Amino acid sequence: MTVQEIRSRFPALAQTVYGKPLVYLDNAATAQRPLAVLEKEFVLASKSNANIHRAVHKLAVDATEEYEKTRDAVRDFLGAGSREEIVFTSGATMSINLVATCFGEAFVGEGDEIIVSVAEHHSNIVPWQLLCRRKKAVLKVFEIDEFGGLMVDSLEKLISQRTKIIAISHISNVLGLVNPVREIVQIAHNHDIPVLVDGAQGSVHEKIDVREMDCDFYAFSGHKVYGATGTGVLYGKKKWLESMPPYMGGGEMIETVRFSGTTFAPVPGKFEAGTQNFNAVPTLQEALRLAREFQEDAEVIENQKNITEYLLTVMTSDPRIHLYGVPRGTAEKTPIFSFTVEGAHHEDLALILDKMGIAVRSGQMCAEPLMDRFGVTGMLRASFAPYNTLEEAEYFVKCLNKAIAMLV
Amino acid sequence: MPDQVGHDGRMTLEEKKQEVIEEFSMYEEWLDRYEYLIELGKALEPYPEEEKTEEKLIKGCQSRVWLDYEVKDGKLYFRADSDAIITKGIISLLISVYSGRTPAEIAADDFGFVDAIGLRENLSPTRANGLVSMIETIKAAAAEMAGQARHDNGENNVIPGSTRNLSKEVLTAEDVAALQPLYTDVILALKQVYDPEIPVNIYDLGLIYELNIDKERKVSIVMTFTAPNCPMADEVLHEVEESVKRVPGVTGCTIELTFEPVWDRSMLSEEARVDLGLDYEEDEYGKLS
Repeated sequence: MTVQEIRSRFPALAQTVYGKPLVYLDNAATAQRPLAVLEKEFVLASKSNANIHRAVHKLAVDATEEYEKTRDAVRDFLGAGSREEIVFTSGATMSINLVATCFGEAFVGEGDEIIVSVAEHHSNIVPWQLLCRRKKAVLKVFEIDEFGGLMVDSLEKLISQRTKIIAISHISNVLGLVNPVREIVQIAHNHDIPVLVDGAQGSVHEKIDVREMDCDFYAFSGHKVYGATGTGVLYGKKKWLESMPPYMGGGEMIETVRFSGTTFAPVPGKFEAGTQNFNAVPTLQEALRLAREFQEDAEVIENQKNITEYLLTVMTSDPRIHLYGVPRGTAEKTPIFSFTVEGAHHEDLALILDKMGIAVRSGQMCAEPLMDRFGVTGMLRASFAPYNTLEEAEYFVKCLNKAIAMLV
Repeated sequence: MPDQVGHDGRMTLEEKKQEVIEEFSMYEEWLDRYEYLIELGKALEPYPEEEKTEEKLIKGCQSRVWLDYEVKDGKLYFRADSDAIITKGIISLLISVYSGRTPAEIAADDFGFVDAIGLRENLSPTRANGLVSMIETIKAAAAEMAGQARHDNGENNVIPGSTRNLSKEVLTAEDVAALQPLYTDVILALKQVYDPEIPVNIYDLGLIYELNIDKERKVSIVMTFTAPNCPMADEVLHEVEESVKRVPGVTGCTIELTFEPVWDRSMLSEEARVDLGLDYEEDEYGKLS
């Protein structure tokens, strides 16, 4: 697939902002959606709009079928063993909250320990902090080195008899480095500790096989992999999902309801209380198909690699720029570039770039502990998707230089 | 109406705002406007490092903004800083317009010129929030300053709990004499407002705990209600404000609601007691100053 072919599928990319062609480099926050996804949601809303799993009429049957077909598509995308291991949520945040709440309820008690890394998104920190507060448990922090690499060697020392779960991102939304999750899972499993992987970025950039990775939970958001907003997935090994209590009570998650006691539906239904996002969830079929195509297409891979190498060279050779997340050794870098510029505030840079048509993110990127780790108040982040061109990367660098010249 | 007379040969607030709007409109491109704001930011008077405290930090901005002020001759003087230069330029713009104005002028201003130059709509929402926070802080400073001006010189003018070190407004004997007729008029205005439940006006009911008029002829009132959960509270407060503002010479009116001390019947004026047919055994009646 050529980049131009890809671009033609994403209507949002064709627009201009402030009279300049849009250069969308905030993909780590949310990706643009292809026409196929937009159309799917429209068709579902305008034709097959009926509540799923309940009624026997035609529309409800069609809607249910689309919804459940999506579960199979997600299973295939993740390489999961069975469709029962796929729970639909509103996004990665809800997926992680579900595990923190339900796994925590079943397995975490006073004095127990949970390990997260310092580079986590707030969504993979705060749910665990809430759990620790509820259960009087302890949150321990897995450190990174100055380049942003996880200090895997220190994990053994962090683990104790009381460690109940390790929660780690597949790829940090700031650093863009692929974490050695397979290795982490192995270390954890040697101690019988389950691992949750926050795949909000990993699901975009890496070809995932949860069975090969052997993680116990994998969470991701639909909107970052070109799907509709408000969709998300939690993969969980059956043995864990079955031993966890329900998250929310309500319709659809029950088997029988009596005032003398209620029994719950088998997984994954137990975790899908209330009316589901049935117009949006099926867009994951188109979205994940496309995401997988991107992950496998040689031309796309080549283009992403060129952009990554170009920006790595520019950013590591410019003394004014400090890049966070520099690949060392065999570590893989995805096209997520967070950096600071000597003497120029990230917000000023983002404002000026915006007026040049470039959408980037500035601030703490929902990773305040990581900002503190590097002693900065915020960073500027440019994150690329397969529809971004090398020319856009070059234009971004040109504009960045212009913005720096204005400010410094 | 705000005091529109020029101070020390300076432009009036309206003139200054107009000047900024005209200056800004010369730059058609947003990048040029940013250049202009960057220049303003770089030229902003330095702000002491040791005063970049948590307390002076404005919440709601992506960049960090510190804002402080002092009062000289009844006017507010602002100083500020930010780690982001465009933000600093915006603050510089706000300071050039509002520094050296009286609390009454600032309190009466609608800050509409910020919209007129497109700052609010053309900045990212987080930045716009920061801008709103900056404006709110300036307004709050003006309100606090106005609230602290007391006609009874000698009393402690600092509001309890306030950490701002404001110079208190000192009124000369001439000032007090000049303000006296206005006090009479404002009290008359307050007597036009009736309690929704008791057929006695709020002044004679003893609901007005404090009444102050500053040199700028801005009225500040501390008042209470007969019960904390008065359903008509908002209407009554509005009526008080409107009634006071209608008094010729009054430039503004702020009302602070308090339930300390809690109102009781001992606060009724003698007139009110007669009106209500109550006997008056207690010696202490109203507690009006």
